[in-house]
Amino acid sequence: MSTGNELREQIAALVRRYYEAQFSKGTFNPERDLVHYAGRVFDAEELCRLVDSSLDFFLTANRYAERFEADFADYLGLSNALLVNSGSSANLVAVTALTSPKLRDRRLKPGDEVVTVAAGFPTTLAPILQNNLVPVFVDVNLGDYTADPDQLRQAIGPKTRAIVMAHTLGVPFDLDVVGELARKHDLWVVEDNCDALGSRYRGRLTGTFGHLATFSFYPAHHITMGEGGAVSTDDDALGRIARSVRDWGRDCYCAGGENNTCGTRFSQQFGSLPFGFDHKYVYSHIGYNLKVTDMQAAIGCAQLEKLQGFIAARRANFDRLAEALRPYEDRLLLPRATPHSEPSWFGFAITVRPDAGFTRAELVRFLEASRIETRSLFAGNLLRHPAFESIPRRVVGDLSNTDTIMNDTFFVGVYPGLDTARLDRMADVFSRFMRGERCAVMAGGGAA
Amino acid sequence: MPSVQKLSCVVEQVRGHGDRVYTVTLRPERPAPRFQPGQFLHLALDPYEPSGFWPESRVFSIASSPAERRSVRITYAVHGRFTERMESELTEGRSAWIKMPYGDFVVDGRADAVLFAGGTGVTAFTAFLEALPSDCPHQVMLAYGARTSDLLIYRDLVERCVARVPSAEVCYFVEGATGAASGACPGRVSVDVVWPRLKRPQDTQYYIAGPPAMLRAIGDDLHRRNISSEAIHIDAWE
Repeated sequence: MSTGNELREQIAALVRRYYEAQFSKGTFNPERDLVHYAGRVFDAEELCRLVDSSLDFFLTANRYAERFEADFADYLGLSNALLVNSGSSANLVAVTALTSPKLRDRRLKPGDEVVTVAAGFPTTLAPILQNNLVPVFVDVNLGDYTADPDQLRQAIGPKTRAIVMAHTLGVPFDLDVVGELARKHDLWVVEDNCDALGSRYRGRLTGTFGHLATFSFYPAHHITMGEGGAVSTDDDALGRIARSVRDWGRDCYCAGGENNTCGTRFSQQFGSLPFGFDHKYVYSHIGYNLKVTDMQAAIGCAQLEKLQGFIAARRANFDRLAEALRPYEDRLLLPRATPHSEPSWFGFAITVRPDAGFTRAELVRFLEASRIETRSLFAGNLLRHPAFESIPRRVVGDLSNTDTIMNDTFFVGVYPGLDTARLDRMADVFSRFMRGERCAVMAGGGAA
Repeated sequence: MPSVQKLSCVVEQVRGHGDRVYTVTLRPERPAPRFQPGQFLHLALDPYEPSGFWPESRVFSIASSPAERRSVRITYAVHGRFTERMESELTEGRSAWIKMPYGDFVVDGRADAVLFAGGTGVTAFTAFLEALPSDCPHQVMLAYGARTSDLLIYRDLVERCVARVPSAEVCYFVEGATGAASGACPGRVSVDVVWPRLKRPQDTQYYIAGPPAMLRAIGDDLHRRNISSEAIHIDAWE
């Protein structure tokens, strides 16, 4: 009779064989295969960890979640990293944490203003609204697609209490200006680092500048666990508040299945509850259950070990694409890094210039018909979407660049799953379009 | 508070101090998580199987410095069934499980502080004292007592801290007859001895770690001196 450990080893060996049989890469066929903008990049190790975790059958966060949180915090050089079930949840946790009564006078209160951008993803904005805060929108630069530093300065008013922004497509926003404003006006800073894991500003990792930072591990992102995200902070008090918001809002920090790890479960006073009310069921925040399963974390552990390679591949792919498209800079605005930054690129953003002689729609249609996946720069202008058209807000300037992004910008992939053949294919399709082949596609013919 | 981690450890060293008091150094399988001075860990003697639940454990203040993440040190006195098991089973080379960090008993380094420590309760403060910057602008007074002068087991660490940090002071207490001979005040840790040496007693934070009777006695005394409950921090356990 085999022991549990022996059976696990046999299962792991089979999983490795399964990986080779099921997922081994075939040769790229440009006549048939899509060039994706993003996707999972994994090997047998991710499958083995996933199965290993499933054999524990603990299901909820356990040893792999612990390990991921520890290793991720170490990677960032911060004291706290907590897993949540998505980058969107991470933003919800981070912004909600700043409304905690435990922060006393520093807490964000309804009506307080939060500076952000409209050229982004909705769940950077949504938690601001969900917490009854008022977003203040600034425009962004074309090319790096991050907030205009001058407008950031103009945005600060007497009610402004926080800056919550994303490092769009991996490009760090101006952290010098944001840091200066935060110090001068005593603002909270949340870095939405969901697209920028591994990016650096003045040599330091993004996600380590703000009071809180958020990360996404959705398959399109730098590492994945399917659904997943994280919140990080170097402030232990904020870390505990964020954990409470994630874990139903409870005051107790015992993990699932644990009791009285604080040693004061039945001897504390909270609110108007009777003295000694069970701490495990005392709620100090209006919270949620946004935790991950240990299976997700198990995949994340294997992915985190590959992160440096992924970042290097993204940078190399970006450079290769930039070189291929440089001849068309008169018609295409190519992406650029902000000063002092080294992006860990999420995508390769392109804005079709006004006098290009073609529209974004024509170029994107040609690329898609040629099986090159494209994406809009997320929402374009969030304020023009039905959900956000009538939200309370303050706007600095006219957001004209944000509208340009909505109309003329898109991005293609640089993810580590793109090999030389796929990158060459992208370069070739762009080249053909620039030589005038788009008309054939527009007429309904195949573009391959 | 950083995320709690469960770590398999090897017992690296066990030091007996006499009177059934021991210091145990554990080497975790990977670097211990970051923690704050004053936080504690759970120690289990029975094996932990990740697919199951955490076995019976007891809590101990982390006596080692947060900078030493490759090893973790605790000090314990034998008081009951679990610590009796520790005394007999926790030998060098055997494995044990810990999970850490826990707790809010963290000294606020931004204010004057008095640390009342009885016996092994001093381990709630040792990491703080080790990390205290030499230019600390706040008065830090340690009132450290034990049954005998031999059981002032962290005296060397305390002396090094006091020599290094001009704003740090210590007052020893020894219950037995050896008290006076060792330069310590005879008797139990008391507020009376410390109080006249405090620069701003009403603006000072008070931290108490030790046996239950001491926690009660010191806490009651401070209340009688009109120290608010918010300024009194007790390392209390159910």
